Amino acid sequence: MTVHTPIESRTRGIPRWALALTGIMFVAGAAFFATNLNGSNPPIIGTPEPSGGGLNAVSIIKAAGCQACHGPDLAGQAAFPSLHGVKDGPVSQNLQQLSKDHPDDWANLWIAGTDPAVTGIDRPVMPVFGGPPYNLTADEIATVVDYLKTLP
Amino acid sequence: MAVNPKKLRPYDQPPKVRGPILPNEPDNAATAFLVAALVWFLVATGIGLLWTALQLFPDLLTIRLEMPTFSGVLTFEISPATTTAGFWNSLVYGWLGNAGLGAVFFIAPRLLGRRLVGETMASGAATLWNVGLLAGLAALYVPQLAASGTLTEFPLPVDGVLLLALLLANAAFWRTFLASSERLPYVSIWYFGVALLALLALYGLATLASLSPLVTLPDVAAVLVNAFYGRALETICLSGLAIGTLYYVIPRAAGNPLYSWGLAMLGWLVWLGLSTLAPLATLADVSVPFAITQIGNVATLLLVVPAFLVVANLLLSLGGRWTLVLSPGTVSFAVVALSFLVATVLLEAIGALGSVRTLVGGTEWGTGVRLFSLLGTATLAFLALADHAFPRLLRRDWGGTLLAEATLWAAFAGVALAGLALITGGVAHGSLLAQGAPAEEIDGLVFWFRVVVGAGIGLSALAAAVMALNVFLMYTSGRRAEYAVLGDAAASPAAAPAAH
Repeated sequence: MTVHTPIESRTRGIPRWALALTGIMFVAGAAFFATNLNGSNPPIIGTPEPSGGGLNAVSIIKAAGCQACHGPDLAGQAAFPSLHGVKDGPVSQNLQQLSKDHPDDWANLWIAGTDPAVTGIDRPVMPVFGGPPYNLTADEIATVVDYLKTLP
Repeated sequence: MAVNPKKLRPYDQPPKVRGPILPNEPDNAATAFLVAALVWFLVATGIGLLWTALQLFPDLLTIRLEMPTFSGVLTFEISPATTTAGFWNSLVYGWLGNAGLGAVFFIAPRLLGRRLVGETMASGAATLWNVGLLAGLAALYVPQLAASGTLTEFPLPVDGVLLLALLLANAAFWRTFLASSERLPYVSIWYFGVALLALLALYGLATLASLSPLVTLPDVAAVLVNAFYGRALETICLSGLAIGTLYYVIPRAAGNPLYSWGLAMLGWLVWLGLSTLAPLATLADVSVPFAITQIGNVATLLLVVPAFLVVANLLLSLGGRWTLVLSPGTVSFAVVALSFLVATVLLEAIGALGSVRTLVGGTEWGTGVRLFSLLGTATLAFLALADHAFPRLLRRDWGGTLLAEATLWAAFAGVALAGLALITGGVAHGSLLAQGAPAEEIDGLVFWFRVVVGAGIGLSALAAAVMALNVFLMYTSGRRAEYAVLGDAAASPAAAPAAH
C-alpha cells in the first residue's frame, strides 16, 4: 500500500502583490547595478601553495586574523602597514633595524612575537603571534613569510 | 514424537535468517541520516566551544603532539587554525549535511507518493558520508594530511568517499522522482532537486580543482574557486535544503494547505536565479571584471525577495493555527527559522553595500552573518524537521515536551547571542580600525565580544545535548505508536494521515 497525502494549496495563481513586489525590487536592483559599475576589485589575498603542504598560507593568515589589522587584501589599513612588497625587506620604517640585524629571517622574527626563542630582539609593534606554545608554529610562520614574499 | 530442544545438535537447528548488511526497510536512510546528524550537532557545537576558547586563550590551549609513523613524524595539533577548520566542517557537512539529506529522504517519499527507490543505496550513502566525515575530521587535526582552502580541507581520498556518497544520494532521490506519478511535484521537491544536484556538482568541481597533477589552476583561480564554492554551498545547497524542509513541515504540522502554489514557484524561480549569481560577489580580484562581482553583490541584495516570498507564503499558510507558534513543537521551531532567514538576508544585503564592505571587511561581521545562516536558519529548520520526523521514524507517541521547549530556547538564544556579538564586534572592530586605534585596544575590545560568542555557542551545544536527550527518552520511554509508512502493507488506511 502506498500512502500518499500531498500538501494541497489554497490557490494556484500568483498573488498580484507578489508580482508587483518582485518587479519593483528587480527594477531597483537593475538601477543600483547600472549606477554602481565604476570601481575595481582589490587583489584577492592569497595564492595557495602546491598541494601536499598541509594548511596553506592563506588558511593560516585567515585563522590567525592577520586581515583584521592589515586589511582583507593585506594591503594595510589605518595605522597598520601593508604586507605587500616585502620581498626585498621591510617597507615600514620601524623594522629597518631588525632587517639589518637579521637580514635572512627578519620577517619570521617579526611575526614570532613573544616566543621565548626571540626574547631580547627588538621587534617593535607587532603583537603576540609567537611560535610554540603560542599561536603559530615556526613552520606556519615560515609558510606565511614565504607567501608574503610573493605578494607584489 | 516430541523433541527435546536441549538435545538438538547444531545441524538439527533451523538455519538462521541473516538480515542484509544495509537494511532495506522504509525510512531506514532517513533515520540513519537524522540520527547521525544529531550526533554531529553535538560534535560540531562541542568543537565550536573549543574554537571560541582557542580564540580567547590561544597560548594556553594550543596542543601539539608528535606521533612517529612509518612515513615520518605526524603532528597532531589542536590550534586555532585546525579547530576553526574542524568547527566549520563538522557544522556544515556533519550536522547540516546529514540533516539535509535526512530531510530529503524523509520528505521525498511522502510527497512523491511512493517509497524511496534504492533505500539500500541511500543507506549506503549515509554510511559512506559519515565514515568519510569521521576520517576527514581526524585528518584536519594533522596538518600534514589536510588539504588547503575553506571547507575543502579534507584529504583527497576522503573527498572521493564523500563524492560517492553524494552520487548514491542523488541516484536514490532522482530514481524516486522519476518513478513517481506526480507530474508537478510539491515545491519542496524542486528545492531538494536543485540543492542535491548543486551539492554534487560543487563538491565535484572543488575536488577536481584540488587534483593538482591533473588540473593545474593558476594560484589566484584556485583561491577564487574556493571562495565561490564556500558561498555557493550556503546560498544554493544549505538554503535550498532548509527552505524545502520549511515548506514541508509548516503546512504539515499546522494541518493547513499551502497558501499559494504559484507564489511558492515564483519564489523558487527567483531564488534559483539569485542564489546561483550571489556567489559571484566572492570573486573580488583584480583579474575579475568589477561588473561580475557587482552582479554578485546585486544578487545578494535581491535575495531578500525570494526570502520574503517564502516567509509570506508560509506565514499565510498558518492562518487560523497561530496558537501553534506559541506552543513548543514543530511550528515554533520553523517560525524561528523563518525569522533567522529574514535576518540573514537583510544582513547579507547590508554587507553587500560597498561602504559597509569597506568598514567591516576582514572583521568578525562575516562570521556572525554566516552563523545566523548556518546555526540560525538551517539549524532551526532541521530541528523543526527532527521534532516532526523522529516520532514517526522511531514510531513513538511523543511531542510537546519541556525538553523540546528547552531545545528551542537554547538554540534560539545561543545563535542570537553569538551572531549578534560577532556582528556588533565586527562593526566596532571596523570603526576602531578606521580611527587608527592601536592593536592593543582592538585586541581588548574583540576579546570581550569573543567571550559572548563563547556563551552563545555554549547555549547551542546545550540545545544539541537536550535534543539528543529528548530523542533518547522518546526511544526508550515513549509509548509505541503506529504511523503508516510508505510501502508498509500492514499499515491501516486509518493511520494514513498520521504518517505525514
